[in-house]
This record gives sequence, C-alpha cells and structure tokens, in this order.
Amino acid sequence: MSANDQTASKYRAFSPARIFAIATNTLTELTRQKVFYVLLIFALVLIGSSVFMARFTFQQEFQILKDISLGAMSIFSSLLAVVATARLISQDVEDRTIYTILAKPVPRFEYVLGKLAGVFLLLAISIAVMAMLFVAVLYFSEQTVLSQTAHEMSRAPQEQRNDALNSVRAAGLNVEVFAGVAVIFLKACLLAALTLLVSTFATTNVFTIAVMAFVYLIGHLQATAREYWLQQPGANWAARGFLAVIALIFPDLQAFNLVDAIVAGAVIPLAIFTETALLGIFYVVIYTLAAIFVFYGKEL
Amino acid sequence: MTDLAVAVEGLTKVFPIPFRKRSIVAVRDLNLQVEAGEVYGLLGPNGSGKSTTLKIILGLISPTRGRTQIFGRDSSEVATRQSVGFLPENPYFYKFLTGTETLRFFGKLCGLRGWDLKDRVQELLDLVSLTDARNQRLSTYSKGMLQRIGLAQALINEPALLVLDEPTAGVDPAGSRDIRNLIVDLKTRGVTVLLSSHLLEQVQEICDRVGILAKGELVREGPLDELIAIEDRTEIVLENASGKLLKEIEKLAAKSKAKVIERRTSTTTLERLFLDATTEKAPSEPRE
Repeated sequence: MSANDQTASKYRAFSPARIFAIATNTLTELTRQKVFYVLLIFALVLIGSSVFMARFTFQQEFQILKDISLGAMSIFSSLLAVVATARLISQDVEDRTIYTILAKPVPRFEYVLGKLAGVFLLLAISIAVMAMLFVAVLYFSEQTVLSQTAHEMSRAPQEQRNDALNSVRAAGLNVEVFAGVAVIFLKACLLAALTLLVSTFATTNVFTIAVMAFVYLIGHLQATAREYWLQQPGANWAARGFLAVIALIFPDLQAFNLVDAIVAGAVIPLAIFTETALLGIFYVVIYTLAAIFVFYGKEL
Repeated sequence: MTDLAVAVEGLTKVFPIPFRKRSIVAVRDLNLQVEAGEVYGLLGPNGSGKSTTLKIILGLISPTRGRTQIFGRDSSEVATRQSVGFLPENPYFYKFLTGTETLRFFGKLCGLRGWDLKDRVQELLDLVSLTDARNQRLSTYSKGMLQRIGLAQALINEPALLVLDEPTAGVDPAGSRDIRNLIVDLKTRGVTVLLSSHLLEQVQEICDRVGILAKGELVREGPLDELIAIEDRTEIVLENASGKLLKEIEKLAAKSKAKVIERRTSTTTLERLFLDATTEKAPSEPRE
C-alpha cells in the first residue's frame, strides 16, 4: 500500500472529533488565561446587591435582583464573548501555532468551527455558573419572604393567605427567568461569531475590539432609529432597503433584550421566545459562514 | 510522478503590497522534485523563498501559478496532510499546555485515540528525551526543548514525508546534533525529509540532494557529492606519515605532472571540540 493510498483510506473530510479537540483546547486556553475571574466580579455584584436590597419590599427586592443579575449577566457575557474571541485566530497566526494545526489534516472550516465552539463552551459554562448563583440567591430570597409571609398571615383566612403567597411566588423565580438566561446566551454567541468574523480580516486585536464596541452600540440603537425613520412621512423604499442592509450587517441587539419585560413581571410568550431564539441562531450561522469564507481566502 | 514524495512544477508566488502598485515575487518558476526516501535540503539566504515554498507545498498558502504535489496528489487537498509532518521555523506552541497535552492535542487532530494515542505520545516523549519534562507547561521550556517537542508533534502521525523549516535554528550544538541524528534515523526507516536551512555544514552532513534558492529562483540542484566535488582534485588522509614519506609522495606527484596544492595537519571541527568538551565526564577522584 503506497503512502498515497493510506492517505486516502484514513482521511475523513469532516470529523466532529477534530472540531471537539480544537474546541476543548480553546476552552483550556481561555480558562488558563483566567477569564473566569469575570465570574468572581459577577458574584460580588450579586451578593453586594442582595445585601443592599434588604430594605425594600419583596416585589422591589425581586425586581432589583433580577434587573441587576440579568443585566450584569448580559454585560459580562457580551464582554467575555468579544474579548475571548478577538485574539483567538490572530494569536495563533502571530505565534505560528496555526501552521502546525493546519499542516495536520484539518480543513480550515473545522478550525474556525472548533475555535468558535470553544468560546461557546466557555460562554455556556460561565452563564450557567452565573445563572446558578443568581437562581440560588433568588430562590433563597423567595423562600425567606414566603416563610415570613406565612408567619405574618398565620391568623388570616386561608384564601387571603394563599393569595399573598402566590403573589410572592409570581414575583420570584419563574420560567421567564430561564428564558431570559437562554436569550442572554444566544446574544453572547452571536457577538462571539461576529467577533470571529471581524478577527478574520482585522490586523490587530485592538481593531477587532474597537469594531465590536461600535457594533454593540449600533446594535442597541438601530431598532429605535429604525422605528423613528419609518414613522417619518417621507420614508420610501430606499430608506427601507438601507435599514434592511444595516439590520443584516449590524445585529439588532435590542431584540435580545427580554430583561426589561422579565423584570416588569411580564409573561414572555413562547412565540416571542422562539422568534428571538431563531433570530439569534440565524445571525450566528450567517456570521460563522462569512468567517469561514473569509478565512479560506486568508494568506497565512 | 507518483513515485515522488514532492513534485513542484512551474511554481510562482507573488505577494501584492496593499495600497501600492508594486508586488514582491517570493518564488519564481520553481521546479523541484523530492524522491521518496531521500533527505532533500532547500538552501538559501534569508528571504530567498524557502519558507514560502514549504508553505505552498503544505497548502498553507496558495500559489500564484504552477502546482505542487505530495505523493502524486495536489497538495492543496487536506487529505495529503495525513501523511505529512511539519515543523515550522521557531515554533511557538500553546504555552498553557504541558508537553504531554501538546502531543495529545496534535495526535487527536490526526485521528489518534485511546491507547494508540497514549502509547504514541509516550514513545515520542522518549524519542525526543522530554519524558522528565512531560508535565511541565511549555512556557517553562527552553528553545531547544520547544524545538524537540515541535519535532515530536511533527512525527505524531508517523508521516511518510517530514517537512522541517530551519530545524536547528537557535538550538545549541548538542541539541542540533540530536536533531540531525534523528533525521538520519528517520531516513533509515524510509521517511522522506524535506528541510530548509542556511546552516550549510549541517545540511552537508545529512542531505542526499540539495537545491539552492536565490531571490526565489532555483540556481543549483543535485546530489550533494556532485555539487561540492572539485573534479580535478583528490584528497588523501594519512595517519602516522613520516616526513620522508610525505616528501616521496610529493616527488611522485611531480613525476606524474600532478601538484600538491596544500599539506596540513588534520583538524577536528569546532562543533566536535565543543561537544567533546561539554559532554566530558567529571574526574572520579579529586585531584591533589
């Protein structure tokens, strides 16, 4: 059997195992760079805020806890997504590690997917840890308020007491909280995919991070700007087309902001959640494909 | 062409300079053939196009014109890399990984799993003498150790073709000697080696054939013995030759219209002197 025949028989054009190897290596790289310290900051913010909230009514307490925790989770995961992803490829090129990887039987798309999957794993772990911490604090606060309410209303009629307990439960931990966490994860994945795309043609990490800061700003403002322009009497097809292009290039990050509704105690309909999730997945797929396309044409 | 390990035909690589009308021709109309089982040295000064040629052969960058093949298949096909090992110049690996983790990572990329991977990693750590440092992070490795772990990762998939870009750059003489011995050993096992270097003395010791690049063009190529031989000169090395014998040899040469051009005491190389001095055993008993 010649070397050529052996090559043909061993090689597989697509290997999830290779992608997984790159993903776990990326995760190891990021964790050993101590990016998880972000979680420590989150924990401090959360614990600090829960101590501060002792003076409020339970509705206010739960609202502020949700607001601060989900808001902090959204900001920290977005920050983590951009900072962790920005240097992944450029560092490999600079250190020439990329030569040794791509000189192995690794197609370029697997390399990009592996790197991105590594960041997604990091985000999943980080958000899961933050969510567990948040849910634990919220759960114990709720239990404390429930027992206090039950004690205070021990002599009240059964129906009145149940109403009071149910109002505590409604304001506390509910399924909307988990929907909010899932959307925060999707938003962070979207930002990671877009950062990877920018880093495939950026020359420095600073440029990538600067572009992403700009994208983050535009992404949060574009929905408001769009509504304003479309309500103008002179809004024509050209303006609509321009806004559609802007919406494709810059993701509508405001669409991923369910925190305000959750804090206000609104019920998130399944249709809205599904629509938001699909929008997030759509953006992630588009940006990942674009990153792979640009990376294939890159001279190393 | 399928009996060749590497075949390069009419290869040209032009790098355009962004925002300018000029461009740099890194490699110009290069034709090169490396036979299976030989050690081929690609020589040339810095900027002569050696690394660019190797990168094109490995499919890391695309040629402007021409084509390159590895064992008869277009080298842009990812499948060809299943039988190739590559050590880049001054390699930096993931500093946060240990020696073992590094080899395990590259092994997984080549499809190795389970006990096969574990055994292969151990075998290679032994081969490059890094068993004791296997659990140290690469950030603590010396340059020579990094070069050796680099060589180990290049061998993880038992390649039929090994491509080495300046394999002994920055390595001390003892480490350099180890790498050369390893290359010779691999050759005896049937591995084809394509290496680039500008350390000519080292290349001379191990290469079967060499090609010399200058400004992106192949200016000389052939078997080393033929390239460096001076056809009308012969060397005789004698041991314990008396002065009388040497005079008689000179007389005989003159009789047959030959000429003794140079007569000198044989010397060792500076490298041999260095290696002997630095690997000498300490005296077993203290001197009085």
